[in-house]
Parts: sequence; C-alpha cells; structure tokens
Amino acid sequence: MEELGVALIGCGFIGGVHLGGWKRVKGAKLVAVVDIIEGRAKRAAEDYGVPKYFTDYSKVLDMKEVDIVDVCTPTYTHAEIAVAAMKSGKHVICEKPIALRLREADEMINTAKKAGVKFMVAHCLRFWPEYVAAKRIVDEGTIGEPRIARAYRLSPFPEWAPWHKDRRLGGGVFVDMSIHDVDFLRWTLGEVESVYARGGVLKTRDSTAHDYTHAVLKFKNGAIAYVEGSWIQPPGFPFTTYLEIVGTKGMLTVDNHTTSAIRIYRPGAPPTDFTPVEEDAYYREIKHFYECVVKDEEPVVTGEEARKTLEVVLAAVKSIEEGKPVKLPLGGEVL
Amino acid sequence: MRRLRFGILSFAHIHAWSYARVVKELEEAELVAIYDDDPERLKKAAEMYGVKDTYTDYRELLKRDDIDAVIIASENAKHAELAIAAAEAGKHMIVEKPLATCLEDAERMIKAAEKAGVKLQQAFVMRYHDATVTIKNILERGEIGDILVITTTNHGKYPGLWFGDPELAGGGAVMDHTVHTADLMRWYTGDEVEEVYAVIGEKIRSELKVEDNALISLKFRKGVIGSIDCSWSRHEGWPIWGDVWLGIIGTEGYIVVDAFRSCINLVVGGRPLTWVYFGSDCDLNMIRDFIRVVEEDRTPRATGYDGYKALEIALAAYESSKRGLPVKLPLR
Repeated sequence: MEELGVALIGCGFIGGVHLGGWKRVKGAKLVAVVDIIEGRAKRAAEDYGVPKYFTDYSKVLDMKEVDIVDVCTPTYTHAEIAVAAMKSGKHVICEKPIALRLREADEMINTAKKAGVKFMVAHCLRFWPEYVAAKRIVDEGTIGEPRIARAYRLSPFPEWAPWHKDRRLGGGVFVDMSIHDVDFLRWTLGEVESVYARGGVLKTRDSTAHDYTHAVLKFKNGAIAYVEGSWIQPPGFPFTTYLEIVGTKGMLTVDNHTTSAIRIYRPGAPPTDFTPVEEDAYYREIKHFYECVVKDEEPVVTGEEARKTLEVVLAAVKSIEEGKPVKLPLGGEVL
Repeated sequence: MRRLRFGILSFAHIHAWSYARVVKELEEAELVAIYDDDPERLKKAAEMYGVKDTYTDYRELLKRDDIDAVIIASENAKHAELAIAAAEAGKHMIVEKPLATCLEDAERMIKAAEKAGVKLQQAFVMRYHDATVTIKNILERGEIGDILVITTTNHGKYPGLWFGDPELAGGGAVMDHTVHTADLMRWYTGDEVEEVYAVIGEKIRSELKVEDNALISLKFRKGVIGSIDCSWSRHEGWPIWGDVWLGIIGTEGYIVVDAFRSCINLVVGGRPLTWVYFGSDCDLNMIRDFIRVVEEDRTPRATGYDGYKALEIALAAYESSKRGLPVKLPLR
C-alpha cells in the first residue's frame, strides 16, 4: 500500500496531540508542519521527526507528496485554510468547530465535494471511550427510549489561547467547548429542534466571547437535554466533564474523575485523573480519517454533520442575545 | 422544661413518617395526637409511633387546647384547608412543601397564619441541612466572592402513592422537586427570580398522568444565573432515592454540594448496591429550630412567604413550558 503524506498546520496544543496520533498511523508519513510562529513549527518538526517545517501554509499545498492536510489552527482560520487545501486536491481533517459561520461551513463542504476529496471534522468524543460506550448502550436499547440528558464541561478560561476572548474569532465557551457535548448528543439522540440558552461574559476581563452558557435543548424525538459549559471555574480547577442519559428503561452516568483509572497528586497542583488506553481517542480519530481516505469511505463526522452541530451551538449564542428560544434551522449568521 | 405538644395532620406525604420519628426523639417535643383521612394509614402510624389519640376528623384534633403546633403533611392540594383550619384554631404549624398547589391557596394560608398570630414554617428542610447551612455561611463570608451561577439538581425516583395524581399533587416532578433548590438559590443569593424558562420532557414512565422530567433555567434580578433539574429520573435500582446537588460558581471559587452523597455502600445477598446515608439529619434540625421559633417568638428560617416564592417558580415553569417562552415573575 502506498504511503500517504500528511502536513499538519497549527502546532499549538491540539496540533501536538494530532502529531502524536499521526506518528502511530501505519501507512501515514508526516512530511511537513506549519505554524506562523517559526520556533513552534521548528520544535514540532524536531519533536515528531518531521522533515520540513514552514510558517506559510500555502507551501505545503504545493507539495505533491502531501495527500492529507490536518488543520489545527485557531477556529477563525479553519475555512480559509481548509478550502485552499481542498482546492489543491488535499484531503482535509479539520479541528472542531468546523468554522464560526454557516456560509464558511457550506463553502468547505461544497469545495470538498467539487474537489473530490475527503473532509472530516475532528469531533473527538465520537472516539472517546466512555462516550462511545454510552452511545452503544443507548443504541442497543438498554435504557429504552432516551428522554432527558445532562452534560457538563467545566474549566478555567483557556488563557493559553487568547483569541478565545474575541467572540468573532473563537465564538465563546459554548461554540468552542460545549460543541463536544452538543455533537455527542446529536450523534446519540438525533437532531435538535430548538435551543434556549442563558449565559454571557460573566467573569473574564476584556472578553467579548461568552465565558458561561447553559442551554436547554429540545430534540426532534422528544428528548430534552441540559448542556452546561463554563470557562469561569477558579484557577487550578481540574477539567471536569459529566454525562447523564435517562431513558424509559434505565439510565447511565459517567464523569471524568470518579471513573478514572489513574489519579496523580503532585505538590501544589490539582490531582490529574485519566484512563490510559492503548488506542486513545485522538489516535483512533486520526486513524479513522486515514482509513476513510485509503478505502474511499465517508468519515463518521462529515462536513454536513459538523455543520449541523455548529448550527446548534450558534443557536445557543443567538438565544442568549435574543432572550428567547431559537428554532432550527437558523435563518442566518450569528457571529 | 416544657415540651412543645405536636399533632400531625396526615401521613399522606412520605416525609410525615420522618417528622413523627423526630418529634418522638426530641426531648423538647411530644407527639400528642395524629389525624389522617385514611383510617388504615392512621392505624399504621399510631402503632408505629405509639400514639393513642387518633382522629379521622382534623377539626376534632384542632379543638384540643393541649396541642401547641401541628405538622401538615397531607397531599399537596389539601394543605390549604388544613393550614387555614389550624391557624384559626390557634396552632403553630410546619407545612410540608410545596406550600400549596396554587398561589391563591398559598396566600390564604399565609394571611390566615398572620391573622391568628401563629407561626407558619415551610418545611424547606434544605435550609436546615448541615451541608447547605455550612455553604450559606461560606457564601456570606464571601469566601468564593460574588455568586455568578448556581446549577442545581433535585433528582428522585418516582415516589408513587398520590404523587402521580394531578388533582392531589397539583402536578408531577416540577411541583414536587422544583421548590427545594429554588428556595436554596433564593436563600443564598438573597435575591428573587426575575425570569423562568422551562421545558417539560416526554414521560420516562408513559403510564403516569403527570410529568416526570423537566429542565428549568432561571435568571435572578441582580443577574445570577440558575438552573434546576427537578426530574424523577432515577430508576428503581439506583442506589439512593435521589439527590440535592448544587454547583455554585463564584467570582473567586467554586463549590459543589452533594447533600445526600454521604453514604455507605451496601450490598446484601445478590441485591443491587444501595447507599446508606449517614449525613446530617435535616428533619431533626428543622423541627428543633421550629420549637425554638415558637418558644422565642422568632420568624422561621423558611416562612410561608418563602414557600410562596418557591411555588411561584414551579408554577412559572409550567407556564413557560406550555408557552414555549420565558416567563417573567411575579406571576400575580
């Protein structure tokens, strides 16, 4: 089998995680990394043994040996980079959110179709062990018809990525972080009919982006869900997630602390909880996309899927601004 | 020491049994007489708590001048009739929550107690739970700065009995499980709710005549954001009856309260895991405080007005769900 060449753009936190994933995929070869900060691109190239690094992403689009482009840049650049890569005939895996505007998402979807390339948005919960297990339990009918769900995602403000303070660049906590839970719930419970949300800029100085949002979702199948996203937890607060789904026959709950296989206490730091698995979610996500390219199959998170999820989180922003529930589909742009 | 002499008006509500236990336990209290409109239940309670004076007509019990106070734990819709009669008979009272099933009844009860000069304490036991009281003190000392958000759940199993009867209960899970954490939020913020949005979900138990799950989003006047999951969403087999859970985000900290999580894990002979609670006895704390309220002529920690305001939030949740829009308070 021919080896596929991969170029990764955006060597921040998630870029590093993806690079680790690509290193393990047999049949894929990292050929270039790109970051607008040269030092960061150079270090990533060194750390992951990548032959070339650039500060201008258009360089990798001209490289014949690049088959796949992995977009790990800030959200506001996704559409431009992904579309350019697709037009160059590259398959694209792009970090979530797909974009901040529906027209950008549409352009990405249409360009991928026209160019005949694979396009996937990296909604990692679709590969996350406890969420995959929860989805399987629901699908098998073990808890009956789903009726009511709760999902939390709580952390301090992501100060390491200051563009999150600009609502036009990052979209805010619900668009950036709760999008994980919304995508999972859509995947598991089906399409959303309406969204009511409350929140705003409650604490973070100099932020135009919402740092707290809770939303009540109504699904087409009659299920309802409470989704809460907070970036206003105190400094040092350990990242916390919770999921609960109640159905007509039973219920399930899972959280990322009490179910962890490992807890490490270090002086002066909050405990770190995690459950190591041989194939972690990011590796499985990346391997899945690679296999879709090789086997010419549709990825589990298509552009259309990611656009539907985007629409729900944007509806939450709109609901906060209008003070009333928002029905889907959305009539226009929000951010 | 003079003991406060209690009557219990109805054992229809499951909490009545715990209140009777507490009155029996407390040195400063005496269980003198009980009433129930269900003779079977009356007999059972009389035997369980060794009460000789039993009544199937509450007016007879209220006529006795050796009774100082009553605990009203009937079906929700019957609270008003019993409370107004108790007030007119000059009895102090604890009324099970929700105070009533409509604001008109709630107001009549409050006015009757005022007119008679008797204490009406709403049985908001969570104002007497040592965990939630501790948090009240922490918040008042400003230890987490100003409150920004309070997320709450009061999950439960389906209580059965008359709780599924819309006439007697006045509703389902929203009527039963909104008021406790709504009241805690009012108590903690010292503020009133300005706006309520709620959705009532399709039933978990299709055979019920009342709703068994709902989500409520709140905004307080000074801007605090709140939410309540009042659902009877715990299936049989869940290790405990339910929860009272709060996540409180402050400008300088975060608090999680899981008031009934203090439990021993217990498994007996192949049956499912159960949790045996060992935490604060809030029923005891509440009745003990009530006795002091009567003796020292103080205002109860949770008054009839607090009951009214919490009930208003539950009623606004029904209204919001029906309309599909947020509802402004006050309702009247």
